[in-house]
Amino acid sequence: MFHSKFARRSASTMGVAAVLALTLSACGGNVATSGGSDDGSDFPSGPVTLTIGQDPGGSTDLIGRAIAENASDALGVPIPVVNKPGANGALATQEVANAKPDGQTLILLNASLIAITPLAVSEDEAVKLEDLEVISGISQDDYVLVANAESEYKTVEDIVAADKSFNFATTGVGTGSQLAQALLFKQAGVDGTDVPFDGGSPAMTAILGNQVDFATIQLGEAMPQIDAGTLRPIVTFSEERNQYLPDVPTALEEGYDVPVSQYRAIAAPKGTPEPAVEKLREAVSAAFESEEYKEFNEENLFTPHEIDGEQVTEEWTANAAKYKELVEKYEIDLGGEK
Amino acid sequence: MEFFEPVLNGFGVVLEPTNLLYCLLGVVIGMLIGVLPGLGPAATIAILLPLTYGIEPVTAIIMLSGIFYGAQYGGTITSVLLRLPGEASSVVTVFDGYALTKQGRAGTALGVAAIGSFVGGTVAIVGLTFLAPLVAGFALDFGPPEYTALALLGILLVATVSNGGRLKSLIAAAVGLLLATVGRDGFTGESRFTLGSLELADGLDFVPIAMGIFGLGEILYNLEERHNKVSAPAKVANVWPSRKDLKQASGAIGRGSVLGFFLGILPGGGATLSSLAAYAMEKKRAKDPSRFGKGAIEGVAGPETANNAAATSSFIPLLTLGIPANATMAIIFGALLIQGVTPGPQLVQNDPELFWGVVNSMYIGNILLLIMSIPLVGVFVRILRVRPAILAPVTVLITLIGVYTINNSIFDIWLVIFFGVIGYLMKKFGFEPGPLVLAFVLGALLEESLRRSLLLFGGDATQFAGRPITAVLLLVFVVVILLPVLQKARKNRAAKTTTIPTKRKESV
Repeated sequence: MFHSKFARRSASTMGVAAVLALTLSACGGNVATSGGSDDGSDFPSGPVTLTIGQDPGGSTDLIGRAIAENASDALGVPIPVVNKPGANGALATQEVANAKPDGQTLILLNASLIAITPLAVSEDEAVKLEDLEVISGISQDDYVLVANAESEYKTVEDIVAADKSFNFATTGVGTGSQLAQALLFKQAGVDGTDVPFDGGSPAMTAILGNQVDFATIQLGEAMPQIDAGTLRPIVTFSEERNQYLPDVPTALEEGYDVPVSQYRAIAAPKGTPEPAVEKLREAVSAAFESEEYKEFNEENLFTPHEIDGEQVTEEWTANAAKYKELVEKYEIDLGGEK
Repeated sequence: MEFFEPVLNGFGVVLEPTNLLYCLLGVVIGMLIGVLPGLGPAATIAILLPLTYGIEPVTAIIMLSGIFYGAQYGGTITSVLLRLPGEASSVVTVFDGYALTKQGRAGTALGVAAIGSFVGGTVAIVGLTFLAPLVAGFALDFGPPEYTALALLGILLVATVSNGGRLKSLIAAAVGLLLATVGRDGFTGESRFTLGSLELADGLDFVPIAMGIFGLGEILYNLEERHNKVSAPAKVANVWPSRKDLKQASGAIGRGSVLGFFLGILPGGGATLSSLAAYAMEKKRAKDPSRFGKGAIEGVAGPETANNAAATSSFIPLLTLGIPANATMAIIFGALLIQGVTPGPQLVQNDPELFWGVVNSMYIGNILLLIMSIPLVGVFVRILRVRPAILAPVTVLITLIGVYTINNSIFDIWLVIFFGVIGYLMKKFGFEPGPLVLAFVLGALLEESLRRSLLLFGGDATQFAGRPITAVLLLVFVVVILLPVLQKARKNRAAKTTTIPTKRKESV
């Protein structure tokens, strides 16, 4: 794929550049962040680094690179992308939150890290949105509940009517996949065992090999198999029908309160001066407007959700509260085995 | 004909100039490090790993695999000429190879080894071409229970088959398993042994461990061990073996190909084991076993063929099941993951270009090896004169910069240094690093698959036996445990045993 090729190239270049920068700063010549005044008036004072808390090649990484590529012209400086995977993105997010708030360091945020992961891990490992200045919302990636195409289950009703115990694969503990599926089954009164896999690909293999009865996977990952007719979509988990699967109902339409999607946003450390935030916002908007970026979204089946920073904070905080409430109401334990 | 389409497309991938270049590069680097005693393919691939990050996945893997099978031949050169095996898999070649050199027939030995390596490698690639899709075909039947059994068997085989003492290997494997438990529990989200550090929340990264234990550990150990033991290289002439030599070697080459191919597939197998087995087999089959050790051409042809065949066929379990059969494969596994490619059942189908590109590159690589091996002998011999005092610091620097660039993490540098010291101490006290690294890789798979299986079975462990593949694998597991007991009983009955050299420098 074109994007991943490019991504890898620039990743290595940046790796080398990062080493050089490190060496230089160790010698006292701090190149990237020197000379910036505190009010943000002369922002940007050098390349703006976009940190990504996931491995290169995944959907979060691809989105970050697509934005960086298309926003750097408007910003007038390069936007190198640095991958710093670890703890589902928490490591990179904490690092950016603690960086100097001058707009030179950004992070690509996944909503699940803010709104869902804290429900599964201990409090001191959770990342808080208050430590960050959200620049802009980016896009939305819906989850879809799938069954093997050979299975007899076509709708949620079929599953409920079967009145038996099922195994279902999730993409991991503390993910939207796990939350969405657990909520649906609990509300529908379906007896199910949650089997966490390490990401979308192994979860999909499990459902293709009939190791589990159902799986919930991000739409972009499941789509090739759905198109090939090997996986059958049952419901999507979002407020509205997904534009790429217009014939598949949402869980909401089927009468279940499961508003779970993966949202992404771009953020800077808390306290970044307003002029800098404004310039970043403009640059990111310019990226959203570019044809290349629009094509990228379609190619990867992402739904644009380009809202401003305040809205992001509002939505995500509301989601976090809503998830917490639902999880408590239905007595779902995202940690511990059931 | 449908089957051949992706295979032919794979040739298209290999023949791209960039890929050809990296194939050549890999093979040359491989031969080079094969020549240098101590620094094995596992270490070299570990050190070079971060540099492949910037190139295409196919290209990167083509180069890394070139290093692997290239090293199998490079190791031969010093074994034959200097009685100094560059590779563990070339240890047995010393016996007859050096004897031939003393008789002034070094060229013949090298020629036969080159031809044997080529044939063995090529036979194994043909096998790989037909067998790999077959394995991948029923790979969807490989669910958590099957992986549990496979991982269990893999760890056991690695620990018992590996060089060095069995007890020490088991200890190393156990430490590897323990290291694999570090990190956030994938089923409960709880932190285990992370010491409250977010850096460890995802567990220990494989690359710093491999680079530390193999790379840095080897360098440190070699600095201590190697005080210029290199003697003056012998003259090489008459590289092409005579018809009589070829006739004598052809049987050994044929047998070595088949033996190496099958031993390479086994977890814990690989080049070293198969060269030993081939040597033992040739000696056993010979009408006059006393010729061995005195310059028997089969004693060079058999092992050298087998180790190349095994190096190639050990790609089968890795590419089709995502199970690395030996330590080098474990590192190539890491390389694939870094490139965003998950080796496993879906690979042949989802990424045929990568799969067939890599497989077919081995044909080309083997031809390159055959062409280059003889004319470059002089160059390689000269490389042996580079002093470790120069080589070592350069390698250490490359290692540290390399590991930093993977995750842009200073923490990883500390990890490499930590595991470098561990690797050094292991070597010093006779512990094989292979079982540790493999158990670490397979440990996560074992734990996750076991817990997933138990979830699927509703906690009923007896259901393992109810699945055919799992049942067979578990049966093999039991046999492997019982085998030494049975062997001991047999040994007591017949005192006559075949002597296999036990002093080996490293595992492959």
